[in-house]
Amino acid sequence: MRLRRRPPDFILFLTVLTLLSIGIVMVFSSSYYYAMFPPFNNPFHFLVRQSIWAIIGLTGMFVMMNYDYWHLKRWAGILLVLAFALLIAVLIPGIGTSKLGAQRWLNLGPLSFQPSEFSKLCLVIFTAFGLSRHPERITDFRQGLLPYLIIMALAAGLILMQPDLGTAVTLAGTIVLMLFAAGASLVHLGALGVLGIAAVALAIWTEPYRMKRFLAFLDPEKDPSGSGWHILNSLMSLGSGGLLGTGLGQGRHSKFLYLPERQTDFIFAVIGEELGFIGACLVILLFVLFIWRGLKVAITTPDTFGSLLAAGIVSGVGIQAIINIGVVTSSLPVTGITLPFLSFGGTSLVFTLLGVGILLNVSRYSAPK
Amino acid sequence: MRATRIVIRRRLTLLFLLATAAFVALTGRLIWIQFVRADELQQKALEVRMRDIPVEARRGDIYDRNGQLLVTSVSTESLYAIPYLVKDPRRTAEQLASLLDMKEERLYQILSRKSCYEWVARKLKPETVEKIKGLNLPGLFFVEENVRYYEYDSLAAHVLGFTGIDNQGLTGIEKTFDRELQGTRGRIVVEQDATGREVPGALHKYIPPRQGNSLVLTLDRTIQQFVERELDRVVEKYNPKLAVIIVMDPRTGEILAMGNRPTFDLKNWMTAPQGVWDRNPAIWYNYEPGSTFKIITTSAAISEGVVKPDDQFFDPGYIKVADRYIRCWADGGHGSQTFEQVVMNSCNPGFVEVGLRLGKEKFYSYIKKFGFGEVTGIDLPGEASGIMIPQEKATNLNLATMAIGQSIAVTPIQLLTATCAVANGGVLLRPHLVKEIRDPEGNVLKTFQPEVVRRVLDQDKARQVAELLQAVVMKGTGRNAFIDGYRVAGKTGTAQVVGEGGGYVSGKYVASFTGFAPADNPRVAALVMVAEPQGGIYYGSQVAAPVFREVVRDTLHYLQVPETPGLEKPKDPFVYFDQPPVKVRVPNVVNYPLETAQNILREVGLSFVVRGEGSIVQAQMPKAGAEVLSGTSVVLDLQPPGGKSKEGLVTVPNLTGLTITQVATLLASMDLRLEAVGVGEAASQNPRPGERVRRGTVVRVEFKPGTSSLQAPPAIARPVREFVERP
Repeated sequence: MRLRRRPPDFILFLTVLTLLSIGIVMVFSSSYYYAMFPPFNNPFHFLVRQSIWAIIGLTGMFVMMNYDYWHLKRWAGILLVLAFALLIAVLIPGIGTSKLGAQRWLNLGPLSFQPSEFSKLCLVIFTAFGLSRHPERITDFRQGLLPYLIIMALAAGLILMQPDLGTAVTLAGTIVLMLFAAGASLVHLGALGVLGIAAVALAIWTEPYRMKRFLAFLDPEKDPSGSGWHILNSLMSLGSGGLLGTGLGQGRHSKFLYLPERQTDFIFAVIGEELGFIGACLVILLFVLFIWRGLKVAITTPDTFGSLLAAGIVSGVGIQAIINIGVVTSSLPVTGITLPFLSFGGTSLVFTLLGVGILLNVSRYSAPK
Repeated sequence: MRATRIVIRRRLTLLFLLATAAFVALTGRLIWIQFVRADELQQKALEVRMRDIPVEARRGDIYDRNGQLLVTSVSTESLYAIPYLVKDPRRTAEQLASLLDMKEERLYQILSRKSCYEWVARKLKPETVEKIKGLNLPGLFFVEENVRYYEYDSLAAHVLGFTGIDNQGLTGIEKTFDRELQGTRGRIVVEQDATGREVPGALHKYIPPRQGNSLVLTLDRTIQQFVERELDRVVEKYNPKLAVIIVMDPRTGEILAMGNRPTFDLKNWMTAPQGVWDRNPAIWYNYEPGSTFKIITTSAAISEGVVKPDDQFFDPGYIKVADRYIRCWADGGHGSQTFEQVVMNSCNPGFVEVGLRLGKEKFYSYIKKFGFGEVTGIDLPGEASGIMIPQEKATNLNLATMAIGQSIAVTPIQLLTATCAVANGGVLLRPHLVKEIRDPEGNVLKTFQPEVVRRVLDQDKARQVAELLQAVVMKGTGRNAFIDGYRVAGKTGTAQVVGEGGGYVSGKYVASFTGFAPADNPRVAALVMVAEPQGGIYYGSQVAAPVFREVVRDTLHYLQVPETPGLEKPKDPFVYFDQPPVKVRVPNVVNYPLETAQNILREVGLSFVVRGEGSIVQAQMPKAGAEVLSGTSVVLDLQPPGGKSKEGLVTVPNLTGLTITQVATLLASMDLRLEAVGVGEAASQNPRPGERVRRGTVVRVEFKPGTSSLQAPPAIARPVREFVERP
């Protein structure tokens, strides 16, 4: 193309590396006690795995950083088909593996892989591609919005069937934000918002465990050892941290198994306990920094595809971070959702870093300030 | 195209602002959690993580007044489980079931509970502990606890009391002084993870328990043993429903001994019926004191000056109050006597008169001053306060009966406390059982001084009452309590048991004695109460007084109280020992009704011994006309010579001097018929006394107005049963 390639956005790059480093350290800190006992018997179990995933992810990120993003347009359709194929495949017994009552993983030899994470990125690429082809159609509901909404709804529906409300919500939110960014009519989006809320309400209503979680959010003390357990212990961990925290590796409440999902969904509570308010704010600040730099890339990118692509990637990370921290601080009901860059989890980390690689590549072509 | 880019940029800026706003909101949320609620949440988190294992404190010891150990604590082991460490709950339960004598299912439940700490069995026998340790079962642990050990199984059981499984005092001193004895429970606080594992570098806090304080009682083990011994004898002899002995130091209010029957073994209190261990009759049992209460009447009367010891009284054998006749226990009455003799003889009409002289207000004020109607405040749980007719409702008849110890219920401790007030010169003291509280190192923390409740009598008045009570033991109804070498003061009492409905239960009596010694300088006061003795003997003078004598004599000797030289028990009870015996002629009492015969003998200063059954004296020994020393016993034989007449012959009694009603009753009892002539007292009769006649024979009796003004009471014909009072 006609654009001159520059070095990627350094601040963005550094922000991501910092978040990633904090993540690896905190995954280790939060998991080593748990991993000391059977079945792991190895305090470094999670650290080693997360490090390996980080290396894979970073490699992917560097590759994508140097793979010019407009080439992705070519792959947009194929990726979408592949994403749906995998989302369907994971639901088929024998192919998908279930853990903790949810069928989310595809086994690939020694590794397991979450199609939902992959599909998130694919949908972002496809939506950015589609919207950038006819940017003016965005105000037209049937032609500009409906196709993406249908695709989104289908993907989110499949993810919900696993069931994985958190990822479904993130996916839907990301696409809606992309539509918003692309200039969709606020009336349309408002109507969609109402519909979305209704859908979420229905999802909660029809699934007893979601209903329980939602009620626990409203009154966690009602069942402190049952449905309120997550949120109460999360709050106790955060509260134990105070301003400066108990010190790295010194968190007692989060570490000693009172806090569930300590190295994944509730890792922010570990940060809050061990690194205190200062550490938690640092993480929040890094996310704000990431969003700022990311959206700046989106704004300064000359072409609409790059702009929407960047916006989608940043939105995905941003929504996930906000929902996750919202859950951990009991501002939102519990939905199983990880904190990007920080939570333990291979697929999520790899695809988030791939996304960041694409974002960094976009940044190489954005107009200098 | 251009327009879209602008829209996108604007929208993206908006997105950034929205995201920032969301993060600012979340930061606000964090401030709320990590600052505002931090302390509360941190505390809660700590509570969730910390497991408290209580460490029992060793319970304080209990000593008698001389430092003799009565109750101590010995360590024992208790078994607890940490369920998640129990490998195989089912098998473990199976192995333990027989050793612990517990149901396997119950053990399994305990062992499979989702908790970090469960008691399996407390306070095990050493051999059981060894066996369980030998099994080497994972997840089971022993912790040292302590258990009460009693030096003497049932010595002062009701006083000492016992403890529950958590060493909490349940009865007696153990309960009253539970807070002193229990010490401060220690704790082991351990930080654990959510599955119950102790975490590395766990916060460990050992708060050591503090042993409880020791108690030094006022009880004297040796005196208590005297009491227990005598109680055992009482049980053996009379098998009563209840028996109580209390020994008190009248100078201080200290309880030297307190015992009850039935009693129980402190080690195995659970095997005794609840009614036995859950109340202490010495402080709880309400009973009519009967004549022992005359101490109060006497005190009030002497103190108020309504009577002096040498005031003259006349007892015709009854006294009429309102429309009721109150009889004296001695049929025919005591005749003319001084007040001292009234006390000595426990003469009911005399006391009724004194009570009426006192009047309701004064009498009640003394009853209350002596502490009746309220608890004494002794340091034991479960004290009763007695029952009293409210002053405003009391009638003259109530007053009269209260003067002889009826229509009022008291507890043994109340009566003894009141007795002590007379003994010590008129001061009512609070009875107490604990002398000192000492810390585990033996330092005295608190000493309980004698506590004066109030002055009841002036010293000289109290002395006068004490002297009167001394006379009771020297020469009156309390002679069985006499102790060689000591001046003993006291009073007997026999009362009928008041039933559920309030009326008297016939054949059920409470025999009691309360007194002190030496009378002029009291060291020991004691009360003996035997409720419902079996076997026919029930007089306080016969049942309770000898017990008092045994306990107090041994106690005086044990306390090395010097004897008063030359003080011996008078041989002739109805004769003043300081009056030299005089020669008297034995009167004829053959063919007289027994009561008349006894009165005749009494009048001339002779004693008597009754042999056989019947109502008419058939023979006497020595014979009439013999000259003997006053005080000699005349044997009165009631059995007709040669056994009961086969032909249905009876001996005509001497009826001289009897009233028409008495004659009628007497003859009727012998199946003889009366033909009465005239009014007054029997003057002559036909057939003559001593003649043998057939049953059904008519005896003609001439009555003439008698020389004495004594009007026959209708009491015999219409006995007022509930007012019969005996010494």
